Amino acid sequence: MPKIRFVRADGSVTVVDADVGQSIMQVAVGNGIDGIVGECGGSRMCATCHVHVDLSGVGGVPVVSEDEDELLDFAASPRSELSRLSCQLPVSEEMDGITVALPERQT
Amino acid sequence: MLSFGPEDPYLANLCRTTERLICCREYLLLSSSSGSRLDSRNVTEDMTTCASELTNAIRLVELYDDPYPIFKELRDREPVAWVPVANRYLVTRYADVVWLEQHPEIFQAAEDGSLVTRVMGHTMLRKDGDEHLRDRRAAEPPLRPRMVKEHWRPVFEANADALLRGFEADGRADIFADFAGPLAARNLAAVLGLRDVTDDDMQRWSQSMMDGGGNYADDPAVWARADRSTQEIDAAVDATLARVRATPDASVISAMANAEVPPDDESIRSNVKVFIGGGLNEPRDSISVATYAVLTHPEVRAEVAADASRWRAVFEEAIRWVAPIGMYPRQVAQQVELGGVTLEPGARIGVCIGAANRDERVFERPDEFDIHRPPVAHVAFGGGPHFCLGTWVARAQVAEVALPMLFERLPGLRLDPDREARMGGWVFRGMLALPAVWDR
Repeated sequence: MPKIRFVRADGSVTVVDADVGQSIMQVAVGNGIDGIVGECGGSRMCATCHVHVDLSGVGGVPVVSEDEDELLDFAASPRSELSRLSCQLPVSEEMDGITVALPERQT
Repeated sequence: MLSFGPEDPYLANLCRTTERLICCREYLLLSSSSGSRLDSRNVTEDMTTCASELTNAIRLVELYDDPYPIFKELRDREPVAWVPVANRYLVTRYADVVWLEQHPEIFQAAEDGSLVTRVMGHTMLRKDGDEHLRDRRAAEPPLRPRMVKEHWRPVFEANADALLRGFEADGRADIFADFAGPLAARNLAAVLGLRDVTDDDMQRWSQSMMDGGGNYADDPAVWARADRSTQEIDAAVDATLARVRATPDASVISAMANAEVPPDDESIRSNVKVFIGGGLNEPRDSISVATYAVLTHPEVRAEVAADASRWRAVFEEAIRWVAPIGMYPRQVAQQVELGGVTLEPGARIGVCIGAANRDERVFERPDEFDIHRPPVAHVAFGGGPHFCLGTWVARAQVAEVALPMLFERLPGLRLDPDREARMGGWVFRGMLALPAVWDR
């Protein structure tokens, strides 16, 4: 099982074992990681699962769709080069050890 | 355009009628276990086995006046409770509500014997899975945040301006009946693509369909009003469909009619009904509750006066504090344990957003209106696949348009010292009257 390291805005860290195929949002919500809300359950409508994550070097990552791009512009915390909606990122073995940084707020 | 004076007898009557109807609706929706279409066998069994002293003592009139002390008792003592007068299990803790929303396969939107479905037809509100998704995706493009910002916000501003021009010289108005209601009505008509319909039409349609949705007493007069409304809506939708098929526009009906996988016309008509039934009172009630909150919290008023971007926090806190949809139904599809209670397939659930939003396990001093709370998400928009489709429209029309314009255009706005502001409801909760005065 790949391990994912969630780093909150206050610097606190939680490492969880993630199920391959689940989205990073689902992994976070299922493990009680506050800082990711996922209000709309992954239907690309709410922008409350915003994360900053460097996925260069990880294969098979879906590109940012038009809907995701739009929502990132409306996220509650500022967008960065590394911004993604975590509901759009299915966990893969290659993601083992990645760091997912959470923004200060989602709403 | 509507421009009722505060003493207008029609307006006074409209207010009383609306209030009575709201009372009736909640009473009928929840009180009728005998002589109703509900599954009385399950109900009886549940009532004898599960109802406790606490839940047996709950009265609808108390829930209507102020549900929050009752919600607190339930959260503390029976977070998933069979409540006889509600004829459902009420779920009141934040964590249970969030968990439930993440499991739509267990807690289904489709409800047996739904009167809302009888009135409106098969709408996306009571569909699940792919069928729900197809309808929702078709309606969604005009409601996405960029479209709302670029296209609808100027429309909302023009609508608010027109309403304010109608009464700003009067120095007094009922912000609920003269502003919040008509503004929500004409904004919704615009977004849907309905032309030549009045604010009164929209409000009457919305109210009569909601009354039909709660007509467990089978009152023929209620059915007749609902039927008349749905026929009028069908005619209005058909006129719009003919127009937008020839010339597509930015509206929701156009998006549905011209979608890649368009719902059939019957589905479009039904979904427009659910948007009218469910898309009007929420912005109306959040505008008026937020206005009431700001008028009674001078420190908040000073803050928004100094920084208009804080209106967003006012809006979000207002719908946490008094969620416009206080409770919505779900039906259990497979056996599940929630809050220490085993729920069987077919069990009816009342998801109490109004209670979850005041859960002291999550929100400190939950009964206080405080725009400086830590960033914990409220659940007023629901969650999961049925997450409120109008979220971005609501934020724009309430937080970016209605509230800032109201306070900017009506200098010295304050509660009317001679007429009482009133709030009511628990299934739907909001102001019943918000009389205000300002400096002319």
